[in-house]
Amino acid sequence: MIWTIATLGTLVASFFILSVLSMLWKDNPVFRIGQQAVIGAATAHYIVLNFESVYKNALKPMMGGNLLLIIPLFLGLLMYTRLKKEASWLARYPTAVLVGVGTGVMIAGTLRGQIIDQLKATIVDILNAPASGGLTVFNTVLILIGTITAVTFFTYTQKHATEKGLTLLGWSAKIGRIFLMISLGANWSGELVWYLTQLIGRLTYLINFAKLLIGG
Amino acid sequence: MSNNKTIWHKLGNIDYRWLYALSLICTIIPILYPLGLPVQVSGGTIGYFDAIDKLPAGSVVAVSFGASAQLLDEQEAQFLATWKLLFQRDLKVLFYNPLQDGTLMLQTELGKQVIPASYGKVYGEDYVVLGYAPLGEAGEASMGINIRGVYTTDWKGTPLNDLPMMKDINSAKDIDLLIFVYTSCTDVEFPIRQWVTPYKTPTIIATLGCCGPMAAPYYPTQIQGFLSGSGMGTELEVYGRVPGPGAAMSDAKNIGVLPFLFFFIFGNLSYIGNRYKWGVKKQ
Repeated sequence: MIWTIATLGTLVASFFILSVLSMLWKDNPVFRIGQQAVIGAATAHYIVLNFESVYKNALKPMMGGNLLLIIPLFLGLLMYTRLKKEASWLARYPTAVLVGVGTGVMIAGTLRGQIIDQLKATIVDILNAPASGGLTVFNTVLILIGTITAVTFFTYTQKHATEKGLTLLGWSAKIGRIFLMISLGANWSGELVWYLTQLIGRLTYLINFAKLLIGG
Repeated sequence: MSNNKTIWHKLGNIDYRWLYALSLICTIIPILYPLGLPVQVSGGTIGYFDAIDKLPAGSVVAVSFGASAQLLDEQEAQFLATWKLLFQRDLKVLFYNPLQDGTLMLQTELGKQVIPASYGKVYGEDYVVLGYAPLGEAGEASMGINIRGVYTTDWKGTPLNDLPMMKDINSAKDIDLLIFVYTSCTDVEFPIRQWVTPYKTPTIIATLGCCGPMAAPYYPTQIQGFLSGSGMGTELEVYGRVPGPGAAMSDAKNIGVLPFLFFFIFGNLSYIGNRYKWGVKKQ
């Protein structure tokens, strides 16, 4: 095997993969070295990318005559006033602009796209379900029950229980909690498979490198 | 505390390193010796494929490529299969990156893993890369209104007006399909709020496995298809007949997840057994 810069790079990458995986056994100095190197490299990587972004999107056009860009640039710089306690109040201005723009941009789409259209889709599904067969009807009814009961779980303006026991709202919230737990479980299982994919990717990398080393 | 621990107690206290060891073994074996387990294609993947496949020739596809280098293994199968499907067809493809990493990944993957020229595609005529801009939701909204308001040049600094493909592409009304690739689960709301709701732009999305459940409610009424995790990337490779890295991972994932399933069962049995005091003699 001929050693090149690329091979050396693969060797270093393999070392860091193994150092991170060593945490599975227990915390150790090799893991710490790997962890700190990865954090350092990632920080440096994003500093460079962010600086490039500021240069490309603000500084360069400003040098070309677009002086209006000094406003967002100035607002961006105000964010750094957080580093000094006496001046940190100045950071509220760019934060206010961000919150204001963000809210303004999202509010119309939220009402229509995420509330009205989602509700409409549920109702239309119910009306269309009988034509599609038994399983579709079952699924649709399940979604309807899930939607209503999960919403009631977040209804805090009424008591869910009295001295006599759970109210109707309380029972609904209890069922809603089961749906929410199933939903969170589905999210979590996706997360697990994602981690597994990352592991498989890195193990494949190590195996391919090992094969290269032994000339396989 | 009693030293006479029940089986439920012991089951709930197995050293977690056994799980890691078993998982590593179950993952490595299929990598070394692939089993060729079948891949079931789900509705979201079929919808995703159909949305691309049914586009008329000459359609414009915008790809919001919010991929991250840290998540390459999870996303690679998805986006490589997508690019192959796009370049196989007579489509105009417009890439833009709402994350810094996206440009970096396009630089390393486009032209190396998927070579547009091998499909007869020419830069500037059949595809354009706009590069990174810190978009967020406001940026997506701006893209829909006026692309040139966000980007005046492509990623290499060529003015958009000098690129033949960009001649008639100005806003959301000129986009026939949006492919939204993202890594932060709630970002699914960006295309819904800024592309689907105001412009009715047909949209498909590709995201991480953990974000799938948050995208699923929008399918099929508001988005035409979705890919969640590398698993659905593999499905797209199989369904679209575009082999890639996903298939090689599929077996390892199917087998590697088994130890976790067993430990979930152990953990739950332990919890229930302890809670209801199974096997404990009443005094």
